[in-house]
Amino acid sequence: MARPRRSRRTLATLVLLLLLSVTIITLDETGRAHFLTSGMRSLANDIYSPLRRGVNDVLDPVGRFFAGAIYYGSLERENQKLQNQILAIEGQRSAVAAGQRQLIELERLQATDRLPSIVSLPAVVAEVTAQNVSNFAATVNIDKGGDQGVRLGDPVVGPGGLVGEVVTVHHGNATVRLLTDGKSEIGVSFGHQQQATLEGAGPSRSLQIQYVPSTATVSRGELIETSGLQGAALPPGIPVARVTSVHSVVGAADKQVWAKPLADLNALSYVEVILWSGSS
Amino acid sequence: MSGHAVVRVLLAVAVALLAQETVVLDVRLGGMSPDIMFLLPIAAGVVAGPVEGAAVGFVAGFAADLLTPTPLGLSALVGTVVGFGVGAISGSLVREVRGLPTVVALGASAVAVMLYAVLGAVLGESQFLHVNLALVVVVVAVPNALLAGPTVRLMRWALTSPDERSVAGGMR
Repeated sequence: MARPRRSRRTLATLVLLLLLSVTIITLDETGRAHFLTSGMRSLANDIYSPLRRGVNDVLDPVGRFFAGAIYYGSLERENQKLQNQILAIEGQRSAVAAGQRQLIELERLQATDRLPSIVSLPAVVAEVTAQNVSNFAATVNIDKGGDQGVRLGDPVVGPGGLVGEVVTVHHGNATVRLLTDGKSEIGVSFGHQQQATLEGAGPSRSLQIQYVPSTATVSRGELIETSGLQGAALPPGIPVARVTSVHSVVGAADKQVWAKPLADLNALSYVEVILWSGSS
Repeated sequence: MSGHAVVRVLLAVAVALLAQETVVLDVRLGGMSPDIMFLLPIAAGVVAGPVEGAAVGFVAGFAADLLTPTPLGLSALVGTVVGFGVGAISGSLVREVRGLPTVVALGASAVAVMLYAVLGAVLGESQFLHVNLALVVVVVAVPNALLAGPTVRLMRWALTSPDERSVAGGMR
């Protein structure tokens, strides 16, 4: 008699836990108890963030010491490469000065058109505290959150261009969905005011530009920027990516266009959150 | 599971989660990182059976879900199924067979990753199937197999009382 009773208890436990899991998934997906699920996530993040930071602060110097010892040769080469880059950047400074004058003129024109410009929008600098916490989502965690004015949907830029947008906000930290995430979808423009949609195709994969008519003119190396159409989630003019390949399929209405993000999404240390949602 | 065992399990899950979010996350192989949170229910199933495996899988999965931007409850569901499955299967095997936890951890981790991707896609996260699934399976399953021994010891400490551990030690 004891064996069937034990089997029933085992089965009941399994069914209970499965039902509990499915209930949590349903509540989270439908958003019916959003305050509860987001509250639990916020609490967990608020508890774990300082712990994570503390452990990283202790372990990072140790890791850097071993990495430096192992990769000494490549670090020397990288050092040389960086010195060359500094020389190149100094050479570009005079060109930048001229560009700034043009930028002031552009801002003046944008003000006339009442278009928002990212230069005029407030922003906060955030440190990337964790990258790709799940193998199934291309995201980064940053150390700025709601307390610093970060809101859902705020664009995040890094060295080179757009990195992604804020998808989760807690008190002192937030999660940014990178451009390469399969769920990422933003309105972009290229060439002579041609509009399209840029979609992520998964971590470490090229970005896909959708809805490019077969008649559109697009070439390799072309710059892709946020379109900022009325009601768009992101402000206009943020550099996003460069076209890497264009394929025209006979009989197809659209071209197959692929692009590479301008920012190095695998090596993000600091990013800038443009406080756009609050100001738009 | 006794009250003391529950506390020890929660402590083990908290420590494993901190390790996952710091040290393990920094280990990158082809852009992917190992996932030791799936290892806890596997080890619990091997040590104590299906009920404990499922319970630890739920708790560890839910804790991991809270810190990842993926559907809340999905890891808990996968952890429950995997922990229960491992407990049920390994219960019919000789538990003291040398190397059994390593083989079980390898296979069950691979199943857990695939189940997670498929269930995620069913829930509308179609991008879960866009990742290099074979690479994720290898990057998760192999380190879990290597860490199976210490994790089984951790779960034995968490789930069994000192008396049970000394009896098990004496029998060996």
